[in-house]
Amino acid sequence: MLPELERIRDDFDRALEAAGSDPKKLEDVRVRFAGRKSGVLRKLEEQLASLPKEEKPAFGKSLNELKRHIEGALEAALAQARTGKVRGEEVDVTLPGRKPALGALHPVTLVRRRIEEIFLRMGYSVADGPEVEDDWHNFEALNIPPDHPARDTQDTFYLPGGLLLRTHTSPVQIRTMEAFRPPIRVIIPGRVYRRDSDLRHSPMFHQVEGLVVDEGVSFAHLKATLEAFVHRLFDPSLKVRLRPSFFPFTEPSAEVDITCVLCRGAGCGVCSGSGWVEILGAGMVDPRVFRAVGIDPARYTGFAFGLGLDRVAMLAYRIPDLRLLFSGDERMLRQFPGGLAR
Amino acid sequence: MKVLYSWLCQHLVEPAETAEMAERLTACGLNVELRTALEGDEVWDVDVTTNRPDCLAHRGMAREAAAAGAGRLAPLSVRLVESGPPVAELAAVSVEDPQGCPRYCARVIRGVKVGPSPQWLQKRLAACGIRPINNVVDATNYVLLDLGHPLHAFDLERIEGRRIRVRRARPGERLVTLDGVERELLTEDLVIADHVKPVALAGIMGGAFSEITETTRDVLLESAYFAPALVRRTRKRLGLDTEASRRFERGADRAMARQAVDAVAALILELAGGEVASGVLDSCPELPPAAVIPLDLHRLAAFAGCPIPEEFVRTLLAALEIPFEVEGQVFRCRVPSHRVDLELPEDLYEEVLRHWGYDRIPSLLPPLHTGPGERRGSFPVTDRARDLAAALGLAEAVTYAFVPEEVENVFEASPLAARGQLVRLENPLSARAAVMRRTLWSGLVEAAANNLRRGAQRVALFEVGRAFFADGTGVREEERLAVILAGEVGSWDSRRPVDFLDLKGIAEALAEGLGLGDVSYVPLGAPFAPGSGARMGRGDEVIGVLGKLSEAAQALYDAPRPLWALELALAPEGAERAPIFVELSRFPAVVADLTVRHPVSLPYGELVGVLWSFAPEILESVEPVVRYRGDKVGPDEVKTTLRLTYRHRERSLTQEEVNAAHFALMEKLASTLPVAFG
Repeated sequence: MLPELERIRDDFDRALEAAGSDPKKLEDVRVRFAGRKSGVLRKLEEQLASLPKEEKPAFGKSLNELKRHIEGALEAALAQARTGKVRGEEVDVTLPGRKPALGALHPVTLVRRRIEEIFLRMGYSVADGPEVEDDWHNFEALNIPPDHPARDTQDTFYLPGGLLLRTHTSPVQIRTMEAFRPPIRVIIPGRVYRRDSDLRHSPMFHQVEGLVVDEGVSFAHLKATLEAFVHRLFDPSLKVRLRPSFFPFTEPSAEVDITCVLCRGAGCGVCSGSGWVEILGAGMVDPRVFRAVGIDPARYTGFAFGLGLDRVAMLAYRIPDLRLLFSGDERMLRQFPGGLAR
Repeated sequence: MKVLYSWLCQHLVEPAETAEMAERLTACGLNVELRTALEGDEVWDVDVTTNRPDCLAHRGMAREAAAAGAGRLAPLSVRLVESGPPVAELAAVSVEDPQGCPRYCARVIRGVKVGPSPQWLQKRLAACGIRPINNVVDATNYVLLDLGHPLHAFDLERIEGRRIRVRRARPGERLVTLDGVERELLTEDLVIADHVKPVALAGIMGGAFSEITETTRDVLLESAYFAPALVRRTRKRLGLDTEASRRFERGADRAMARQAVDAVAALILELAGGEVASGVLDSCPELPPAAVIPLDLHRLAAFAGCPIPEEFVRTLLAALEIPFEVEGQVFRCRVPSHRVDLELPEDLYEEVLRHWGYDRIPSLLPPLHTGPGERRGSFPVTDRARDLAAALGLAEAVTYAFVPEEVENVFEASPLAARGQLVRLENPLSARAAVMRRTLWSGLVEAAANNLRRGAQRVALFEVGRAFFADGTGVREEERLAVILAGEVGSWDSRRPVDFLDLKGIAEALAEGLGLGDVSYVPLGAPFAPGSGARMGRGDEVIGVLGKLSEAAQALYDAPRPLWALELALAPEGAERAPIFVELSRFPAVVADLTVRHPVSLPYGELVGVLWSFAPEILESVEPVVRYRGDKVGPDEVKTTLRLTYRHRERSLTQEEVNAAHFALMEKLASTLPVAFG
């Protein structure tokens, strides 16, 4: 060790001894010699940087030796002081930490992302469309002409200029088929609007729509796809049941029930005792819809399905009241800091 | 539709038991939603989809039950004894709008005795939700529920000239309907009129003047087919949803018009006596030719994904009363008049598959012909914004896109809200949801206020959604991210009220995460409290605004504490810019602090901006360490300590060269700005 550094080592040893096991004095010693801003070691490091190249190796070696000595001795003395009779510095590990707040995504976003992941893995794209629509995309192209009774079931908010707030995500099916030729695999999540508000209906809610168009698409393909989806979203043991139903844009159509995720089919309040909950509407794309977008129904077939994201979120997280989802109540919103619980 | 089990059985030979029949109906698409026991019988609530008006009756439902294997459909037989004079001697019918009324059948019964119906009939009507009135009216309702065809009985004495005219209403005509309400008619309304006045709204409701009363002697029975769209339009305008209109607007059965008028005449004869005039007044006895749809078994198998046996199809079509001829693999099906929903082969595939059973169709995943999926549209940027906001500790809210106009007005001064005209809803649910939002703040401000009033110590919310603007004849939608902070920040041992820099920190982190590049912050007044807001600029464009909302905004929903709000426009290109790696320096940095005393009027941004304009190449970063105002400086002065980091990319710096650069920088600052050091 270079003599000038040896002198410093001796100074340090004396100071350390004088400090004894008094934590405050030990801290003073630490700051004086090992302080990050202006400790002796720090100064020496700066000095090293400005030395001529040929002097650096010797000085650097001594400095490292000194550093090890000082840091080792300090650590030992501080450790001894901690285990000694002075208790004031001890940490109360049971105090709450200064925890950075965890953010949270909305339950509807969480289930949407999960659903997107499932379908992306099956080769589907995720598409998007306007929330303000025209009559053609929202109704007519979907085989819901003016004066069709099905319009009654979708009470519509109208805007000036014959525009409307889309009542379902299905218009994006039309926009997708207008923009892309088959084969098509797409899901369409989004906000939709209906002029309806009560305990079980919100004037704004969320849907996910799915569309597959290709040669040779069959009802069996639709069934398997929905089963794969439900099993991945909830649980592979759930049963999936398709019931015949009617939608103007699919023929044939089905309503899809799954075993109630709460009571496992035993019957409970959520499933009105039936053991089943309806979560999806689906069917084979009506040839009239293909004609509306210029796809040849003699060559192509397809299937479509749709579900309410809000309902899935309520089922997945057991949220009892639809309106809570739109309340902005942070006590609710912060209950789901992770992904979808399985 | 309410259905009585015993009534269904009346149309079936060897009907299935209640539970089995309900199950079979549900399985083929007529969902039996609720079963209620009633005096040894059962009343069912059956959900009939809008495409199946033929099932809005016991006969139609029994046909489905038979096709589903719950019995065999009994033949429909109506025995009617005609004993009166030819009907043409008693009344006449002229249809002046055959498009609106393709068929009109009428019969006349003379000498009825109007009175209450027998108990069995009253009970059946009541079980199905129809109030018994008198034997003549009840008979029409009974046949409606039985066969599905709407009927109407007129007091013939009240029909001026004993002549029915089916025509459009004339300007200014009025009609008091059976519910006692006087209706103003438009020329688009189809009416049943006599010689001088309307006596009924076609397909919707009869008129009060010609209704059957205790004194009625002679009855004219109407059994018609009206055009669905006409009935629907008038029904919607008048808000008159009736048993008749529901069936006509979905599509009634033209052939059944004749059978129904016979059936109701027979029933009235039984219940109220009198004599039935011989013959029927029928405006169009000939039915249009039935459409023919080919049902190809090969195509059906490909569509279903499994073969369906020919024998099954044959039996099913017969049970559904769909006549057919077989040509090889193709069933040529003639559409019966009761099935208005059948047009295309796919409509027949549906018939076969729903009765075959969806559960018997196999599950096969489709072959994958598309490439890997991708997220399109605005999802890449909106989802990135959501992840960033959540990573910054904010909770995502979803609020309504329609808001009260007065709330929207409060935020009008925001440059982001002023990007276009307001879009008003034509039929809002209430004034609280009258216009489309131009900023996401409206909903978040309400949510934040509610949280605070519930006692929340801190509010940290965000929303990603769209703002809407009138744009020519269309509506422009813009993706936005909005944040609201209120109350306190910091941990339990270091709490303090939210301030501007908390909000700006979030803005900066978002801008960084979204790859927005250089963002400038320039003071902005309204919609913020004076001196507490800023706009975010990128180039010439305002991309965001942030600050403490004005007192007017805070008062909107009685927020008890100030609200700090941020809104950022999410341009789709933001998320796509991939960052490129910057080489890491292997050489040590030299840090030097610089304390600058300067007037408060010199903003930090200008101070640092000027500093950077003189910066030597080795200056790597500048950041504030301490900002001091108080006794040790003048009243209009502030002391800002900056930490300057110097580093050379290719070698170690000497203290001397850093000192030289640092002092040169200080000199230039002092000669340009009103600053002093130390």
